[in-house]
Amino acid sequence: MSKRLSQVSLSLVAGTNRRDVSDVELALGLAAGEGWAIAASWHRFAPMVLTMAERSLGSRSDAEDLAQEVFLSVFRKAKTLREPEKLRSFVYSFAIFALKSELRRRHVRAWLSFLTPEALVDLGYRTVDMESRDLLRRFYTLLDRLSPRDRLVFSLKELESMTIEEIAGVMDISVSTVKRSLGHATSRLSRWIHADAGLADVFDTRRWQR
Amino acid sequence: MTRKSDHQATDFRALNALTRLGREAVDEPTAAELERGLNSLLGRVGPRQSARITARWALVALLGAFCAFLGFEVASVVRERFREVPPLAYRVEGGSVLEGGYLRDSGSGGVRLFFNEGTKVSLTPSARGRLRSVDKDGTRVVLDQGTASFDVARSKERRWLVEAGPFSVAVKGTLFTVSWAPAIERFELRLLHGSVVVSGPMASGDIELRAGQRLVVNLPKAETLITEEKSEEVHDVPSNAPSTPNTDHDLAVASSSGGSPSAKNVPGLNSSAALSAPSPSSRGERKLPWADQMANGHWDRILDEVDRAGLDATLETATSADLFALADAARYRRRTDVARAALLAQRRRFPSSSRSLDATFLLGRVEESHDRARAIGWYDEYLERAAMGTYAAEAWGRKMVLTNELKGRALARPIAEEYLRRFPKGSYAGSARALCREP
Repeated sequence: MSKRLSQVSLSLVAGTNRRDVSDVELALGLAAGEGWAIAASWHRFAPMVLTMAERSLGSRSDAEDLAQEVFLSVFRKAKTLREPEKLRSFVYSFAIFALKSELRRRHVRAWLSFLTPEALVDLGYRTVDMESRDLLRRFYTLLDRLSPRDRLVFSLKELESMTIEEIAGVMDISVSTVKRSLGHATSRLSRWIHADAGLADVFDTRRWQR
Repeated sequence: MTRKSDHQATDFRALNALTRLGREAVDEPTAAELERGLNSLLGRVGPRQSARITARWALVALLGAFCAFLGFEVASVVRERFREVPPLAYRVEGGSVLEGGYLRDSGSGGVRLFFNEGTKVSLTPSARGRLRSVDKDGTRVVLDQGTASFDVARSKERRWLVEAGPFSVAVKGTLFTVSWAPAIERFELRLLHGSVVVSGPMASGDIELRAGQRLVVNLPKAETLITEEKSEEVHDVPSNAPSTPNTDHDLAVASSSGGSPSAKNVPGLNSSAALSAPSPSSRGERKLPWADQMANGHWDRILDEVDRAGLDATLETATSADLFALADAARYRRRTDVARAALLAQRRRFPSSSRSLDATFLLGRVEESHDRARAIGWYDEYLERAAMGTYAAEAWGRKMVLTNELKGRALARPIAEEYLRRFPKGSYAGSARALCREP
């Protein structure tokens, strides 16, 4: 019996094993509009996009929608990628752009609505308990109050563990702007946590002071 | 002051704790989620791409047609203005012209004639013909036997006439092949472009053919057949390809004694569908293997071909690779009945192939949306046959998930433990650990 190397359904699309293709080959495949490249790029980069979007937005379903849009844009614009070896950065930049747009859209919608909608947190957390879910819901409610840029900078720094320089690079802003946004977001979040009696009570128990 | 700084420290610690919680709460997407997302994406990419490509080609075609029309009109005006008919001349390749205009083949490629007006005549190697006359009024070519293709330049001044046995073809600017088999007295003409008028021993008299039509006259049977051919099929025919004289049974009998004055006017022959030759797919001809079409994302084309040819016939005649491609195309287009049938056919017809094994796993995936218990059965069979197979991890994971949903945690937990033992870093490891941890 022949044995394949891949455990993903990628080979089903292309009819051959495409798991080991390089980013360059993948980029060229996308530019040529080849079907196997779509599946291969999805399997390679979608986990990164999905987890980043889910952490930043606090919603798995929103993250899935955003990932779809990101990859559609990537496929549409693949021909414009001049350096195929930078495919990962290319996808990442589309993801950041989509995240920024989504956060901006949310912010505008919150301004236009009379009532601030309750944060709908539907993270794909499989292992956290009810108490933690409640804390997360409050946390994302606070994040919703930040400006889109501050929130994205905070998310990339604290949730994605990116460096200041990396954030400046992917968001196409200066390092000092990143630092300023991060300081602004951190101080505001700390202040809001302090003002939130429920959160203060929880943290007074020192349960989370690990 | 100290109290305030204590508060600030607590707030920052709380913020750190919350961000840590946010980081840890999000798991990597599972293989199933990724596949679901991919299917959704493919469903959106296909139509958009094809729509965009179609629109682009439509625009190109429109522009091309407009340019061609413009060019033709300009050329007509110019030609009218400066009308001076040059003398007709020609050169011969692949043979020579002997006394009496007899075209002699000197090699294996057949004789080819190139006229200075742009007309090309090409005889297949076994064909015999004569160039009866070439003058300022036009040209007469006689085809004694075999097949010849004609690409005749449009000309108002000159008249082209092709004679094949008792038939004569009056040609305007056009592209066609004509065959004459004297032994069985069979005449055939396939018209790719333009129009021709065919005269001969047909009860109905002259027949005018238009582009895409095929005329077959079988004198011993007194049959005259006109069929419509799809444009792409017509274009696929090599211009010098010999015809196959024994394909009469493929064609509908149009008229046996009454003849057919024209495809448009023959009683009972006005429907091209009734006359049409079998489509490429129905005769088992395809432009691209399905695996290639699959790789190009043309799932709908595969399914369209199957719809035309019939699912049952396809399942019985398709190759193993084609069946697999069909199953994939059907899965991506959510035609689970077709996918299931293709996978079952794969198992039945190619039981010892590796694709048969893969089909077993994929049947489980297909059944998940209909009958989860049956899906577990497929996964069990796959794992029994290929404990270390390509999809073993996925089969264990899916079986664990489905068992949890159908039969509860108690029965799913041993599967989760087995999964963790075999694939501690597998994509279902998180779910398996959660199952093992929960009381």
